[in-house]
Amino acid sequence: MVRAEAITRSFGALRALDGVSLEVHPGEVFGLLGPNGAGKTTLVRILSGVLAPDGGRALVAGLDVAREPYRVKALIGYATQEQSLYRDLTVEENLLFRARLYRPKEAKALAAEALERFGLSPYAKTLAGHLSGGWRQRLALAQAVVHHPQVLFLDEPTTGLDPLSRRDIWGLIHQEAARGAAVLVTTHYMDEAERCHRLALLFGGRVLAVGTPQELKLLAQKKARFLFAPGLSLEAALSLPGVLEAWPSGDGVRLIARGEAPVGAGFLEVEPSLEDVFALLAKEAL
Amino acid sequence: MSRILALAEKELLQIRRDHVLPRLIVLLPSLMLLLFGYAINFTLKNIPVAVLDAAQDRISETLLRELTKEGTFRLALRAQSREEVVAALDRGEARVGLVIPSGALEKVRSGESVRLEIYVDGTDPNFAFQAQAALRKAIQEVNARILVGRALAGERVLPPLSPELHTLYNPENKTAWFMIPGIIGLVLTMFTVLLTALAIVREAESRMMESLLASPLRPHEVVLGKVLPYLLIAFGVALLVLALGHLVFGVPVRGSLFLLLLAMFLFVLGSLAAGVLISTVARTQVQAVFGTYAYAFPTIFLSGFVFPIEGMPPFFQALSYLVPARYLIEVLRGVMLKGVGLEVVWPHLLALALFSALVLLLASARFRRQVAV
Repeated sequence: MVRAEAITRSFGALRALDGVSLEVHPGEVFGLLGPNGAGKTTLVRILSGVLAPDGGRALVAGLDVAREPYRVKALIGYATQEQSLYRDLTVEENLLFRARLYRPKEAKALAAEALERFGLSPYAKTLAGHLSGGWRQRLALAQAVVHHPQVLFLDEPTTGLDPLSRRDIWGLIHQEAARGAAVLVTTHYMDEAERCHRLALLFGGRVLAVGTPQELKLLAQKKARFLFAPGLSLEAALSLPGVLEAWPSGDGVRLIARGEAPVGAGFLEVEPSLEDVFALLAKEAL
Repeated sequence: MSRILALAEKELLQIRRDHVLPRLIVLLPSLMLLLFGYAINFTLKNIPVAVLDAAQDRISETLLRELTKEGTFRLALRAQSREEVVAALDRGEARVGLVIPSGALEKVRSGESVRLEIYVDGTDPNFAFQAQAALRKAIQEVNARILVGRALAGERVLPPLSPELHTLYNPENKTAWFMIPGIIGLVLTMFTVLLTALAIVREAESRMMESLLASPLRPHEVVLGKVLPYLLIAFGVALLVLALGHLVFGVPVRGSLFLLLLAMFLFVLGSLAAGVLISTVARTQVQAVFGTYAYAFPTIFLSGFVFPIEGMPPFFQALSYLVPARYLIEVLRGVMLKGVGLEVVWPHLLALALFSALVLLLASARFRRQVAV
């Protein structure tokens, strides 16, 4: 449904994207995981036709985004990083405005349906600026999908939200995928990435790896060992041979070590988190 | 105190970091100073005169030389009939009309008084007073010379030349009649340019533009959609000023209302485009406001809105041709006060249309380039 083929894009001397390829299927929540400055937003902007790539191709529903940007734009829903809602309009007015941009004839019905589906009905007449952060994000999401897009781009939809609101938003994101939409979500929260069907790890404008969270962890476990050393000091851990990364954790130290490296007594093998996977792959890429 | 300084320094840093604002802060006062110092001149010079000289003798020669000698008046047109003189005033080619009857010299010799018919464009009462005073002075000068030449001053009762002044268009010298067309021009400029620029910049500043651009809206739809409400508002306000001027101050609309609306429409189109143009340069609302001032200053000073264009040095007179408000105000004053029609105002309408088309093209090209990063 969404395909990036070797997309590159530079801003001056900065190479924001360096040959990024990936694919998002219908009904799938695809996570774009990476730190700030990895190129996540740039990629989303290119895929949604707001920004032109320097090289490579972006395809949405088989259409070349650069050639037919407006046919593509009609198919997608895009929630930008900054909540794109008018604070001086009510919830209902915001939704109606968005709906009219895409499907003017059915706008009223679509807006009413989105109010209902996202539980926003009690706030219909509330100014968007008066909503709490979580509800505002809910509205931003409702706006992005008010026209039932086949493709949904969400740029850091949960940044700045409390854990409960984040759970809430993720429930809604999966609801959209279940409806059949191809959903691309960017995030720098590693724990959130676990909620995606598949993930691409983006770092320095390159895709380090693609797969399900489980596949990525298995891949990492093939490359290195993830250990917990109780009672060990950080200095001692870093001086061990074959240790790639070490950081304090609870009453000991967490380690990433090369597979062939010897390990001390009492070291425990642990299941790597996505953060561990990312740390390893990023280190390799440097 | 140190906290205040910290805040003040931060503010200065931000102003310096701003790409547009520091330049405007220097440029705007300089521009104002130049305009005030050079362009605005309340003493009149080069007032264009249309003359019907039926006498063609020494008297008319002396009079014309006296009028043009100090550069206060200049001979713009030699007419063949009184109608031609008045038509020149209608078109704005001349602002004073002078009819010298035939046989002036004979009348002076035989001791009769020569009646000079003088028409003064009364649109701007200020102008009319000054022009009348200058005319009287010149005529007195000529009279004195004739009398000295004949050394008969003591015996004469009648002055050789006696002016018969007619103030056209605004005979009661009502300032409001002069100001209201100008105010309409000013309102249209400020409202449209400022509101348009602000509306677009606000959208961009709040990062809303991004999501609009991700929607199926075309760039021109974004601009038109944003600008349309302000077009209506500006037009509404202009009509309000027009109606108030008419009802409260009795400003007449002698010509066709349609022509007025057409000129206003063409002008507003260009102003809106100028607003869009400013918004493509300005990144913040403050910059947009300053940019608008930069656009509005020449409009106020060089359009003939308050300050007569004739009084300016040639460079600024030439510059005034680039100010669209000049044409709008010509049409407004012409149609409202003089009651002239399309046959007189078409060059101004054409200039407005050309200007608007040009700015519209420029604005859409810049806007397109800006959004297609």
